[in-house]
Amino acid sequence: MKKLPLMDVRSIHKWYGKVHAVNNVSFIVNRGEIIGLIGDNGAGKSTLIKVLSGYHRPNGGKIFINGEKTKINSPSDARALGIETLYQEQALVDSMSLARNFYMGREPVNCAGFLKKQKMNECIKILHHIGLSIKSPDLLVGSLSGGEKQGVAIGRAMYFKAKLVLLDEPTRALSVKEVQTVLDFVKELKEANISVIFITHNIQHVYTVADRFLILKNGEVIKDIKKDDITAEEITESLIGDRNA
Amino acid sequence: MKEQSFGKPRNIGILKRLSTIREIIIFGVSIGMFILFFFASKGKFVSPAVINLISVAVSELGLIVIGVALLMICGEFDLSVGSVSALGALIVAKLYQLGLNPFLALVIALGVGMAIGAINGLITVKFRLPSFIVTLGTMIAWRGVIYVSTAGVPVGFRVIETYPAFHNFLVGDVGVIPVPSIWFIVFAIILMLILNFHWFGNHIYAVGGNKETARGMCINTDKTKVICFMLVGMLSAFAGVMRVTRIRGFHALQGSGIELMAIASAVIGGTLLSGGVGTIVGACLGALVITVLEYGLIMSGISAYWYKLFLGIIIILVVIINVVVERRRES
Repeated sequence: MKKLPLMDVRSIHKWYGKVHAVNNVSFIVNRGEIIGLIGDNGAGKSTLIKVLSGYHRPNGGKIFINGEKTKINSPSDARALGIETLYQEQALVDSMSLARNFYMGREPVNCAGFLKKQKMNECIKILHHIGLSIKSPDLLVGSLSGGEKQGVAIGRAMYFKAKLVLLDEPTRALSVKEVQTVLDFVKELKEANISVIFITHNIQHVYTVADRFLILKNGEVIKDIKKDDITAEEITESLIGDRNA
Repeated sequence: MKEQSFGKPRNIGILKRLSTIREIIIFGVSIGMFILFFFASKGKFVSPAVINLISVAVSELGLIVIGVALLMICGEFDLSVGSVSALGALIVAKLYQLGLNPFLALVIALGVGMAIGAINGLITVKFRLPSFIVTLGTMIAWRGVIYVSTAGVPVGFRVIETYPAFHNFLVGDVGVIPVPSIWFIVFAIILMLILNFHWFGNHIYAVGGNKETARGMCINTDKTKVICFMLVGMLSAFAGVMRVTRIRGFHALQGSGIELMAIASAVIGGTLLSGGVGTIVGACLGALVITVLEYGLIMSGISAYWYKLFLGIIIILVVIINVVVERRRES
């Protein structure tokens, strides 16, 4: 029996007024697969992610999770389906502690709604498993670097058993060392059999970790190709070629 | 994967570490002011009567300040607190005049305070307007309602003669402790517990710190804000009823100007105007600093006209200290 994909997106459309931001986009995401979602500015990457994460409702199309037709009308719906979206600048709240961030919206509480501090402090151990050794759960997230923040957000997604993680430009504005750190975290997700859609402009970054590439242009998928069948240079050429076309 | 280590405790001195805790600095400022005014007033400032007076004044202001601070942490403002506190007082005074039990009138006033808070909150979140503007409008509008319904004529509220239990319930004394202080401490502890130890407090910090992140984490940001507005409305009405009971009469200007004192207190206590940062303890200390300054100047025989000047200077100084503390914490 053929294994069902984790997510099956069929003919998704999204209009902003007269602008057809996402046009008949279809693709599948298999379990533990990393998909590089690539495209120029205005290609529709962010809109597609917002549709999958419940921020925007599509104007047409179907989404299947584990073979079951589903609707993602809100971020809560997405989360209930195991979809976590991590925006680089918006994954965490800088002015809050690590523990408060880690459990934000899913706080462990007693029957009166009070936080179980001891349980919250365990986030340190959880992060340790993915290679982040942070000494205090009370550390302000604002004092962490961009890469470390991504690590915390990814650790959080793993802890809450996400099935699919949408990473929106996770390596933007990071130093070379930080980029490597984030890419290592992405590999950790794959090892945990969690699927990833990695949205980026930077082909070099995503090429090292992705299994498959989805190239968007003007809201349409122009290529859905396995890593073995394309080189990083060919992806770049395809984008440049599209620009010149 | 190579392990990385962050947030190691640094080997810094205890004084330096304490200097990064805002509340300790604000507490130090208020103690310094107490000492200064003790000498300036030749000892009168720490007499039991003055301490009692300051306690009551801090409590009436503080009840509003803790609500305002909570709302500011959530990323919003409420300029209508003065008008709402006056409206709460007027409702109780008028209903009492009509023969209603003052306890029942108090419950109605608190309900009205919450309802006004809900209106402020709903207009702010549903129309995506700055709460500063929305509550500026409601501040003026509710004050207008007060003028219309009183025609500027004071309303007597001598509840002590008919319902001494109500008077004692709100503004009596338990031993040497004024009841307003007990109410203030009780509400401050409740809000502190919510903010620090309850899931709702985590949501307040999250919404104020980064609304989009909070939304992305499935926090109902609108609901969180509206509840905070309602709490501020209720606390403002309660403070207004407390005041009208204490001074035994209502006048149309009651509570005017208190909104800026409340915001100033919250800021002095370390609450950031941008939201996401602040504590209830800090807000309480901010109210203490402002009240001590006001009464200290009076007791020292300095003209009351100097009060605003000193207040302005203190706000700027404390904000500078807060910024320095924040940078130290971050480094």
